[in-house]
Amino acid sequence: MHRGVEIRDLRKDFRIVRWHGFRRSVTEVTAVDGIHLDIPAGQSIAFIGPNGAGKSTTIKMLTGILHPSSGSAEVLGFTPWRERRKLAYHIGTVFGQRSQLWYHLPPADTFELLARIYELKRDEFLSTRNALIDRFDLGPLMQTPVRKLSLGQRMRAEVAASLLHRPRILFLDEPTIGLDVIARQELRDLVREWNRNEGATIFLTSHDAGDIEQVAERVIVINHGRVVVDDSVAAVRKKYLGEKILRVQFHEQPADLTSPGISLISRNGYEMKVSIDTDAIPIQQAILRVMELAPVADVSVEDPPLEQIIARIYGEAKHGVLP
Amino acid sequence: MKSISRYFWIGYTAARANLAYVIETSSRIVFMTVILYVFMRLWTVVYAGANAERLAGLTLSQMIWYLVVTESVTLSAPRIWSEIDQDVRTGRLAVQLIYPLSYVGGHLGRAMGQRVVRFVVNMAVGSLIALLLVGPIPFHAAGLAMFVLVLPAAFLLDFLGNFLVGLCAFWLESTVGLALLYMRTVQLLGGMLLPIDVYPETIRHLVKLLPFASMVYAPGRMFVTPGTALLFESIWNQGLALILFSGAVAVVQSVALRRLFANGG
Repeated sequence: MHRGVEIRDLRKDFRIVRWHGFRRSVTEVTAVDGIHLDIPAGQSIAFIGPNGAGKSTTIKMLTGILHPSSGSAEVLGFTPWRERRKLAYHIGTVFGQRSQLWYHLPPADTFELLARIYELKRDEFLSTRNALIDRFDLGPLMQTPVRKLSLGQRMRAEVAASLLHRPRILFLDEPTIGLDVIARQELRDLVREWNRNEGATIFLTSHDAGDIEQVAERVIVINHGRVVVDDSVAAVRKKYLGEKILRVQFHEQPADLTSPGISLISRNGYEMKVSIDTDAIPIQQAILRVMELAPVADVSVEDPPLEQIIARIYGEAKHGVLP
Repeated sequence: MKSISRYFWIGYTAARANLAYVIETSSRIVFMTVILYVFMRLWTVVYAGANAERLAGLTLSQMIWYLVVTESVTLSAPRIWSEIDQDVRTGRLAVQLIYPLSYVGGHLGRAMGQRVVRFVVNMAVGSLIALLLVGPIPFHAAGLAMFVLVLPAAFLLDFLGNFLVGLCAFWLESTVGLALLYMRTVQLLGGMLLPIDVYPETIRHLVKLLPFASMVYAPGRMFVTPGTALLFESIWNQGLALILFSGAVAVVQSVALRRLFANGG
């Protein structure tokens, strides 16, 4: 069994220097405030939190890009900021908003370059590359310049490129951002499969509740640089994702709604938005209740926004509800 | 050896990617054509006015070929400072540092790949224009070999200078002003439009010792009047400048990466 990630009291403070005319003021901002975590090899983690919570700073320290202010971390037995280049052979990274593919060249050329950068043996590279082309359905795209690929196709190629050297940890930073429903689902399936088949540790950050539910087995919520929740996805789902949002468009004015487990969020003419507590009422039954109010023109079921869940989690932590 | 070859592959990939910028390359060619034509007319008048066959040891043909080389060198320079600036400001640095590569090495490979393609295209077009305007100059294999020895060091020096300017993005709000200052200094003190030999006696020797002359003047002069004395002088000056610039890059990069504040979360 390989070593995973061990983080002990990791802290990162940034000094922000501002000039007001000739007067200089220095403010110290704590981005990561004493994080303490153990992640066994092969585990799939969702590392989430609102913007500015300290997620990216933590990942940048774990990949050796940033030096911490204090504390320690070991990733696969390496201290990232001291052994960045050694560690880089064993980790893969996908940034949803940044590309590692060469824009004017086909993915095949980037793959060839990555084989050289990671010093892969020719036969091993070819066998991994061919397996990835097959699994990610990249065959027809390999010779097409990246600029001509759709976002979904490009992201499949991005993830495949990050797996060429068979990393033992894969860091995914909002990998499904901007993707349509099908491309999003495909990517989640591929990442989950890689985690199961290769035993790679997955470190996912995302604002998409679907990514978290379908890819991760453990959720770590961070806010103001501190871990506020560290639990299994099943437990978090039970506690926080038991709510669904139902948006209904009626053909005529709907009647008033009174049903346990269903609460009105907003009502605007023929449109109604309600929250369903699936612990109190099964989703199917709740939909039927709402549809009885008037003839229905359109209906959609959504997960509550992750920001809302995180805000709720953080609110509970702040008021001492969470341990 | 294998680890060095990675940087050559980055260069090769960058060269291939750069071939896609056909329009950008064409615009540089038009600019160079205009410059060469204007300077050909200018120098023709100067040579006629001075009633001299040679000025600063160069015939009119050699002067125009000198300009072909110096213009090709200068116009082929990639905007490394802008790349570094963007790396720092947009957090793209995170993508650069996930590879088992040296940050400066990765940029060097990329820059050299771009530069070789641009230089070859510029030289080909410039040579054609010079052939049409003033005809060929005496040329021999040993001279070409000396030129090829001096040229990579010139590119490397300019890369390091550019890289140093780019690294200032870790401290400055914008590196544009500094970059403009650097580029103009390279053009003026490097001898892009005028060979340093025509500069006033008092500053000529000092300017030749500066790193900027090693970037532009040295390959230009080596192309038109190659010789072992010039070769040793150029290599000596380039060697000293490389030690100075490499040391500065190593120190500044190490400090900069330690105080890194990567954007993006």
